[in-house]
Amino acid sequence: MKLPILTIVMTTIFTGTMLTMISSHWLLIWIGLEINMLSIIPILTKNQKPRSTEAATKYFLTQATASMLLMFTIVFNAMHSGQWTTTNIDPNNMIVSLTMIIALTMKLGMTPFHFWVPEVTQGVSLMTGMLLLTWQKLAPISIMMQMFTSINSIILLLIALMSVLVGGWGGLNQTQLRKILAYSSIAHMGWMMAILTFCPSLTMLNLLIYLMLTIIMFTMLNMNTNTTTLTLSNLWNKSPTITMMILISLLSLGGLPPLTGFLPKWVIIQELTKNNNIAMATVMAIMALLNLYFYMRLIYSTSLTLFPTPNNIKMKWQFQPKKRSLFLSPLIILSTLTLPLSPVFSTLN
Amino acid sequence: MPSISINIILAFTAALLGMLMFRSHMMSSLLCLEGMMLSMFILSTLIILNMQFTTSFIMPILLLVFAACEAAIGLALLVTVSNIYGLDHIQNLNLLQC
Repeated sequence: MKLPILTIVMTTIFTGTMLTMISSHWLLIWIGLEINMLSIIPILTKNQKPRSTEAATKYFLTQATASMLLMFTIVFNAMHSGQWTTTNIDPNNMIVSLTMIIALTMKLGMTPFHFWVPEVTQGVSLMTGMLLLTWQKLAPISIMMQMFTSINSIILLLIALMSVLVGGWGGLNQTQLRKILAYSSIAHMGWMMAILTFCPSLTMLNLLIYLMLTIIMFTMLNMNTNTTTLTLSNLWNKSPTITMMILISLLSLGGLPPLTGFLPKWVIIQELTKNNNIAMATVMAIMALLNLYFYMRLIYSTSLTLFPTPNNIKMKWQFQPKKRSLFLSPLIILSTLTLPLSPVFSTLN
Repeated sequence: MPSISINIILAFTAALLGMLMFRSHMMSSLLCLEGMMLSMFILSTLIILNMQFTTSFIMPILLLVFAACEAAIGLALLVTVSNIYGLDHIQNLNLLQC
């Protein structure tokens, strides 16, 4: 894509999300979401292949339905409460709270509306998939954080639990790395939404750590354009450093203790337990093991074992890496080594 | 709730169900998207006029503008799908299944 057009489209995507995040009037929020959705379609169809078109079509149809549902909720809420601000949605109005949650979880890709996430992430390039799984989550989550007091807690907890289950089980049978990261995104959204009605700053914490880890994973996969487990298993020969970084990033994404990825899971379980939701916390913690299993499978074939290759592949000419890796080192350090900084959170609120 | 609002909400629900359950053509889901937008336009205009919300008079028109942009992108995607597969049948979009 030519650079001026790419700049305009990226600026529009940025503007859409920023517009949603700074407004308190429902119409501007809806407009921001629309601008965001419309301007990411050219990015999805950047390389003109049938898979990209199919991914863009599925993405467009799902997100357009969610936008229209959101508009229905906005107008219905205006009918019943007479105002257009975000913070005054009536939580007792069943239709408004139900359709609001349905519209926003459809935008985020949570169960039961998660079916588009693996397919769309698979059909686009790695960097576009990263944009899809990271930037596109910001606007709907900012809406949910603005109105978290009026969300029906039971429905949201149910959706979050189902997302964690589907994210865990769905990723087990995958060898395509983009689909694995898509199911990881579904599971992490489940963890984020489980704590939203209790303590939204923990949602923000989980979102930040998840964004850093997803950006790291996609950037490292983009360095050698690895899209399947098979190509990833040849990584020990091309860049052993990336192999090691993938090991610790995936372990952090799975939530293992000495790494930062453990912090959100820990505080979410603690907060759920404080609110007498012990069953939910237990089930979510057990289901996180499924996520860890398929990350471990990737690590096993990438870093822990040498995949059997013919001998001529082992003597490879080591070229200089040509792809840019923005902020890779600081992000890796931030997302794997900052667990000792967790007492900082006692200073919040 | 006055019965005209119930009617228009019913129209929206019918368009929503039409969008969610499509049989073969993608064009019908785009038409149902426009149907949802139209019912929302009418509903919001009625509410704003009834409640004398003078500052919100622009809202249905803005809704119309953005829904028109969305329809244009939907049609562009429809044309691209038709270019590749020859038809806009939904069962053609099966390259990406797990």
